[in-house]
Amino acid sequence: MTALFRWPSGWDPTGTLRHMQREMDRLMGRDLFAESRSIGGGTYPPVNVLNGPEDILVQCEVAGVERADLDVSITGETLVIRGSKKPPADAGKARFHRRERGFGDFNRTVVLPDKVDPGAVEAELHAGILSIRLPKSEAARPRQIEVK
Amino acid sequence: MAKREDKARVQVGRPSEVVDEETFSPLVDVYETEDGATMLLAEIPGAKAETLDIRVDKGVLTIAADGALPDVSEEYVRTYSGFTGGKYFRAFALSDEIDRERIEASLEEGLLKLRLPKAAAAATRKIEVKEI
Repeated sequence: MTALFRWPSGWDPTGTLRHMQREMDRLMGRDLFAESRSIGGGTYPPVNVLNGPEDILVQCEVAGVERADLDVSITGETLVIRGSKKPPADAGKARFHRRERGFGDFNRTVVLPDKVDPGAVEAELHAGILSIRLPKSEAARPRQIEVK
Repeated sequence: MAKREDKARVQVGRPSEVVDEETFSPLVDVYETEDGATMLLAEIPGAKAETLDIRVDKGVLTIAADGALPDVSEEYVRTYSGFTGGKYFRAFALSDEIDRERIEASLEEGLLKLRLPKAAAAATRKIEVKEI
């Protein structure tokens, strides 16, 4: 994963590379969840961190994860997204023809680029995307400085 | 937030989506349930139910959808980019045993669930031999 600094909102130069990476992961049957259990958290769920003047937005891709199985917490400048993706309920000992999605516990740590106000953080789950809005603390907001 | 479940319709016809660089192949789980139906679960986060296009044509099941991330104003700077929105497309060859008319689809929290039931076993027909 790459940390991109100061790219404009809409541009994603490594998009094609990541697309290929994902296809390769799928073809090789790589278990993304195995990495999540490693120290410091892994690469699931994929996140986007967008830094705005007033707040920080964190988007996470968690398709198929129930709201009740998600745990979002913040300590200082560290955001932790934890949860569990359950295997299909009616699968039981069923015969799988393909198993690409993966399941299990995940744990992702995101270090935020600025100080935020922990009491004002909002998280919303819609269509499998978790959107977290973290308003910046007063000191982190841009201030106009008057030049005398 | 209330959970949403949308019912999707399955059509018969030709797929019209063009596959390009911005199209993702969704991750799927395919398994058989106890009653013999095949379940297909596809991850299509961010997909809007109205853009969902599921078709069966000549034994090929295609799934297409538009999955976009919520719009973000120009003021935001990407400090970390792990995923983008995009189109989803994937095609599957269906076995003849699947009853195409009775395929059910539903979309919930970015997970598309397709239930592909087996056709009822064809009744054995006795063939009458006529005397010539």
